[in-house]
This record gives sequence, structure tokens and C-alpha cells, in this order.
Amino acid sequence: MLSKSLGGKRGSLVAILAIYIGLLLVAYLNSPNLGNFGITVLSGLFQGMLLFLVAAAMSIVFGLMDVLNLAQGAIFMIGAYVAYDAQHPGGVIDLTAVVPNNDVRFIVALALGFGAGALLGFILERVFLRPLYVRPIFQLVLTFGVSLILIELAQIVWGTTPNSWVEMFGVRENFFVLFGQRFSTYRLFVVGFGFVLIIVIGLLLKRTRLGIIIRAGVEDREMVQSLGINVKAVFTLVFTLGCAVAALGGAVAAPFLGAAPSLANTYLLTAIAAVVLGGMGSYYGTAIASLLVGLAVAVAQDATIGTSLGVLPSITPLLLLILVLLVRPSGLFGSSR
Amino acid sequence: MNDSAPVLAIENIHTFIGQFHILEGASVAVQQGGITVLLGRNGAGKTTTLKSVMGITPPSQGSIHFRGEPLAGKPSNVIAQMGIGYVPEHRAIFRELTVKENLQIAERKRGDLARRGDLIFDLFPDLKRLYGLPGGNLSGGQQQMLAMARALVPENHLLLIDEPSEGLAPVIIEQLMRAITRLTDHASVLLVEQNFRVASRLANDYVIVDEGQSVASGLIANLVNDDALIQRYLGVA
Amino acid sequence: MNSLKSFLKRDGWMLFIFIGLLAFPFIVATLTGSSPTGVPRGDRMIMRGESVRWQAVLIEVFILSLLAMSYNLLFGFTGVVSFGHALFFGLSGYIFGILLEYTALDTGLATGLGIVLGIAASGLLGLGIGLATLRLKGVYFAIFTLALAEMAYIFFSRLQLTKAEDGFAIGELPVWLDPTQSRLTFYYITLAVFVVGFLLLRRLMASPTGAVFKAIRENEDRAQSIGFNTLRFKLLSLVIAGMMAGAAGILQVMLNKKVGPEMLGLTYTIDPLLMTIIGGTGTLLGPVIGAAGLHLLDVGLRDQVIALGGASIRIADVWGLILGAIFILVVMVFPYGIVGTYQRWRLKRQHRGDPASAATSRAARRQSG
Repeated sequence: MLSKSLGGKRGSLVAILAIYIGLLLVAYLNSPNLGNFGITVLSGLFQGMLLFLVAAAMSIVFGLMDVLNLAQGAIFMIGAYVAYDAQHPGGVIDLTAVVPNNDVRFIVALALGFGAGALLGFILERVFLRPLYVRPIFQLVLTFGVSLILIELAQIVWGTTPNSWVEMFGVRENFFVLFGQRFSTYRLFVVGFGFVLIIVIGLLLKRTRLGIIIRAGVEDREMVQSLGINVKAVFTLVFTLGCAVAALGGAVAAPFLGAAPSLANTYLLTAIAAVVLGGMGSYYGTAIASLLVGLAVAVAQDATIGTSLGVLPSITPLLLLILVLLVRPSGLFGSSR
Repeated sequence: MNDSAPVLAIENIHTFIGQFHILEGASVAVQQGGITVLLGRNGAGKTTTLKSVMGITPPSQGSIHFRGEPLAGKPSNVIAQMGIGYVPEHRAIFRELTVKENLQIAERKRGDLARRGDLIFDLFPDLKRLYGLPGGNLSGGQQQMLAMARALVPENHLLLIDEPSEGLAPVIIEQLMRAITRLTDHASVLLVEQNFRVASRLANDYVIVDEGQSVASGLIANLVNDDALIQRYLGVA
Repeated sequence: MNSLKSFLKRDGWMLFIFIGLLAFPFIVATLTGSSPTGVPRGDRMIMRGESVRWQAVLIEVFILSLLAMSYNLLFGFTGVVSFGHALFFGLSGYIFGILLEYTALDTGLATGLGIVLGIAASGLLGLGIGLATLRLKGVYFAIFTLALAEMAYIFFSRLQLTKAEDGFAIGELPVWLDPTQSRLTFYYITLAVFVVGFLLLRRLMASPTGAVFKAIRENEDRAQSIGFNTLRFKLLSLVIAGMMAGAAGILQVMLNKKVGPEMLGLTYTIDPLLMTIIGGTGTLLGPVIGAAGLHLLDVGLRDQVIALGGASIRIADVWGLILGAIFILVVMVFPYGIVGTYQRWRLKRQHRGDPASAATSRAARRQSG
């Protein structure tokens, strides 16, 4: 049984590797030069990391609590709005007078985004989800409803038109030159930050007591509770952290994507694609799948620039999601259940 | 605490699962340092009795006192924290966690595992060898040992052990029995056991559960000679 | 004679409402002094006056009720969550519209063919989606439908052939059917479709098949272990729901004489979900009451402006938020909705007033234990 499951995992790894190589090859063949290829790859990794921030917690929360949080995309969007608002003058929270330095203010903006996500997550789990664990079908419907409310709220507070980021700060303005192309330092910074986060969360799951409890809870919540652990408190903590990370993702993304209501559904569906592709509940599967989806979108964007197929990048994750659900619904690394 | 007061006193509890009235007046007492065994046919309500104590299926009527304190309305994590260790049937260990992590998760205070390590490895020497392996890779007997060891990590006053011998080879059962006998130095035990031979050798007291009610109880030594009672409720001669 | 009496006692109030709906255009016409058929100008009719205006409102209520009832069949009766119900609604709408506008068929033939093909396609779509995902856990079905609907929405928003996000207008419908010409007829047609749909659903849910649907909702594993092929029943439920939603989509296209990607958008998934939950999940009348209540509220409040502090807020601008708040409130506080809460309240009152029934329930419990 062990060897069989290992064999299955190995098959998945080979498949993933083949897809990665295939994607890179398409990107390479499509690029006039190495610089262009590099930009596509960096853009893919950047989008993949943003996805990971939304998808990771979605996957862990689903494994642990059997709740698919459909508000995760809207929380990403809120993170973007909060960071945007904090960085720019004339918003709801005007920090330009308090923190005049743009660089410092951006760090404050990120922290505020993270905090807003944590607050929303805490309220959502404690007030709304907790009474509904006996009726899981309503939980799914409820997170969907909360998502709509957050989008409506954002439109009322910040308007329906997308806000593009104008207040620059150090690292956002910097570029470095490679193969004759200008690369954004900020994107590289986000990708590096994402990699660090993948490892940090991985270690947290592997090494800490909370991590052990989470992994045990994925298997058997009732037993964990019988060992004297307050599983409800763990649920709240994990859910809160998950929403905080998603909102941080939105905040980090805002300097590039701006803040717009459409972020919510785009990132929800794309993240779901990554979660399902990685195998619901599988942490590293989600990380690998997020990068893969990000790369696929970037390659599609690069390949369709200036063609009539401009719709392809936006439906790529949906196509992937539908394909995976049809062919291998347990995902690449999930146990088939 | 009074020496004669039982560690666990279950009095006339009624428990529903969904619409089903599983326990209809069960009373069980476990004495300090003793082993009480619950006997009865399949579906009589033995496992539900343990789950009622743990608060997993809380009783709707009757009372349960642990060391003089009522358990009513407490969630199972709080009940566990009071000093009750639960070893459920089918060896509910965490298959994806290593043996070490399976034991670590049971810690209630930092250093519990370090304090109890010697005792655990003394009772179940195999576990030392298997320390780094995932629980799912262990054999049935090893998993049962791990499940019992897990309940020994914190300082529990009472262990609830459900069907430890089920599906295990006689040699392994022998080893488990020795371990359970030695457990009584540290905790009292409420045991569910179908294997009458095992039960009669381990326990001091018995309670027979039939159709959700406790119908007979006393010293196991007296039951062994009461063929009529055994025949009537347990169907073994 | 006796059966008529018991029918009247049981369903008399429904018959009463039905007769009320039949007479409604004329009642409004009499009360407001307007014509129930509109005002003639030359050889055309102009849809002006209170009666025809209110007919349009009720027509929308019938269409939304049909959509909500079909959602309820899946969600409330069978326990399957779909986040892509708009797919059925929009797909049949597009098929109907394309047949009318983009083929050389005679208008009458195109209309008939469009109705048949649109509804059939919705049923087939349900079958396909079901075969692909109903075997899996419920969440997978929910996200599959969400993704598929989103994709259809993006596809039709960009498809130049059908005028992309603007959608296309239906130039001509058979005159007797055209709501801009013969709204009164169209009113009775939608009323008939709605009533037939309601009665069919009632029949279905009273049948053994309906009982299996409910068993699947309560506990699919148990229904399976009793020996029912639950997949087949879920498929049936999905196909019927798909066809009902498809019929609603076609009526919507006829009413607005327009097809656009908004018919595939989230709104037409959220609205029936909301109407079902507010009215009463898993009750026959719930979705109808939810649809009527929400739509009438929408019509009544849409143009209202409230002053809040210094700012004035148009209700239409915050309508989504209001809906969301109602939605959360109902899920958290009245999970059984209007009809469900009423039914439970009545059941409780009956039991309280009758000590014998308490004794029987005690006895029944003892037997099951």
C-alpha cells in the first residue's frame, strides 16, 4: 500500500514536471529573446505566488474543517483595497500626514491589509461559521454570501471603478536589467517573499505543535478533541490566519494589480483551480499547483498578446479547473476520497 | 478524597444518538486503582457509555461524576483535561503522523512526554524502534500499543479503553494484558472487552450492559462462577 | 363530491389565489381605470397603463418563481448545491434567441423549435454536468458549476456573433405571444407555465421518487446503503431542475425581447438561491414566496432614496448589500425560511395542545431504541 501510494505520487510528480517543462517550452518558443522569456517566467511566478497566498489557507481550512471558504477571493480584494487606501492620500484611512515616507507607509499598508484579513476571518469563523458546523451545506452557501457582501461593501466604500496604484515607493520603482530587458525588482521581491512563506508555513505544519494538531485534525477531529485539545479554538486560529494571509496577498498585489471589485471573483476561481489541482487539503500540492496555474496564465497572456484570443488568459484557470475535475478530481497530490 | 468514593460514578444515564435512544439508564462505577469491565452483546451500548463519559455523545439525563466533579455540559476537551484518557476502538491513531508526533500531540503540559517516556517504553518497548515511522505503517498490535501509550502521556487518573484485543493475535493480546495490569499503578481503568477470558483475567469489577441498561454488576470473581448470568447476557459458556 | 370537499379544505386557499391571479389584470384595470390590454395606436398596441405595468411585474415574479423552484428542487429537496444555475437559464435563452435572430426560419417555427431545443439542451447540460461531477463530494459539484457558468459568461461576453456584452435584441415574436403587443396573453401563458411547474413539482415530491430525493438530502450514504442508486436520482433531479430553469430562461427572453450575457451572470444564480432560502429551503411554496417577496420589494424600493446623515443613498445602489444582509440573517437566524419556520411553529403548537401526541412520540422513541 505504501509503495502504491508512493508510485502514485511519483506519477504525479512526473506529470507536474512534464507540464512545467511544457509551459516553459511554450514560453521559450514564443519569446523573441531570453529577456522576454525571463519576463514571462517572472510574471508567472509572481501570479503563482499571489495565488498561493489565497489558495494555501483555502486548502488547509478545507482539509481541517471541511469548509470551502468561498469568501477567500473577496478577502484578497479587501486586502488590496486596504493597502491601496492606506498608501494613497484622500482615502478612508489617510496616512500621508502620519507616515509621510512612502516606503514606510507601504509597510504599514501591508500590515493593515494583513490585520483587516485577520479581523474579517475571525468574525467570519466565530460569528457566522461556528453555529453552522452541523449544517455544512449552509456553510458553503454562507461563505458565498459573505463574498458578495464584501464585494458590495467595497464598491460602496471605494466606488465601482478600479483604482490603479500611483503612489510609488522604493522597491516598486526599481528595475534591474538582464538579457537586455528591464525586470521589476518588486515582482522579484514578491516571488522571493512567497518562497520564504511557502517554506515557513511548511515548517509550521511540520514542526510546531499547532502544525501537528492541524495534521491530526485533518484525519480525525473528534479524537484530537478527546485528547484535551480545544479544536474549536484551533479552527478559529487557522481560519483567522488563513484570511490574514489572503488579505496580505491582496495588499502585496495591489501595487501591480491596483484595487478593483473584479479581483474577488478572479482570484477566487483561480485559487480554487489551484486548490483542486493540488489536491484539496494537500499543502505542498497547493503550492506546486499555484505556481503552475500562475505560469500557465502568464504563458497564455504572453502568447495571446495582440491576437484575438485575448480571452484565453482569463479562462485558462477555469479550463484547468474543469479539466482536472473531469479527469482527476482528487487532484495531483490528493488522496482520492 | 475519600478512599471508598469511586473515581468515576455514572448514574442512570440516558443517551440519544440522533433519534435513537441508545442508553436507557446505565450506571457504572470505577473504583480508585481498579479495573471495571463493561460486558454485553454487540450494540448493547458499551461504546456509547464510554463516549458519554468523554462528552462525545453527551447524555440527556442522569449524571456522571469524575473524582466528585460533575461532567455534564462539558465539552470533551475539557473532560480530557480533567484527567481522562480515551483509547477508542479500532485504534484511532493518526496514520499520517509519526509515532513521536502521535505521542507529542497528547501532551497537556510541556515535557509530559519526557516525563512519561521511560514508563511508555518500558510498557511498550516496540514503540522506541518505530519512533520515526508514520502511524499508518504500524501493525495492528503496534497501533493498539501506540493508542494506549498516547493515553499515558499526560497524567490521567482514568483511562477509557475500548476493545483493545479486537482482531489481534494471542501473543499480542498477552502483551497488552500485562501492560493494562501495570497501568493500574497510575490510573483506574474502565474497559470494554468482548473477549470474556481476557476480561475476567484483567478486571476487578464488572458491569453487564444489555439494551442500553446496566442489568448486573459486582465482583468479576463472582461472575466467573455464575454460568446462568453469563449464558443469559453474554452467550458464552 | 366528498373528494371535492376534501380538496377544497386542503387546497382551497391555493385555488383562491389562482383565481385571484387570473382576475388580477382586470382587477388592477378596474381599480386604476386603465385597460388590461394596453392602448391601441394604429394597428399596434402600446403597453401603457397600470394594468399592463403590473402584469409585467407579476410575469417576472412567475419567471423568478420557476427559477427558484427549480433551484429548490436541487438544493432544498435533493441537497445538491449549485453555484451555476444561471447556466441553464442563460443557455436556453441564447439557444432560443439565436434560433429566432440568426436563422432564416419562419418566426413561429423558430419560436416552437427554440422552446423545445432550449429546454432539451438545458436538460442535456444537466445530465452532462451530473455525469461528470455528481459522483464526487458536494463541493466539487458546486465549484464545477461555478467555473462552468463563469466560463460561459466570459465566452458570451466576448462572442462578437451574439454582440458580446451588449447582447442582441429579438426583433420579432409571434404577435399573439409578444409581450409588447399581447401582454395579457403572455401574462396567462407565464401563469400557466408557472402553475404547471408548481403542480408537477408537487406531484414529484409526493411520489416515491421525491421521497428518495429527500433521503439523499438527509443522508446520501444511508440512501445508497438501503439500495437506491443515488447517482441516478440526483441526475434525475438535476435534469428536471435544468429543464425548469431553461423554461424560465426562455420566458425571460420573450419578456425582455433581448438576450445578453447577464443571463449567465452570478445574479441569476444568487437570486434563486436567496429566494429559496428566504422562502423556505425544501418547502414547495417557499421559493415562490421568496421570489414574490424579493421581486416586489425590489420593484417597490428600487427608486427610493433614503437620507442617512448628510448623504442620500439610492436603494438601488445598496440593493446588493441589503440582499446580502437579508441572506446572512436568514441563514443564521431563520434557517428554515418563512414557510419552514411557519410549518415548525404550527407543528409545535399542535403538539403542545395535544398531550396524547406527546405520549405517542415517547412510545415511538422507546420502540426505535
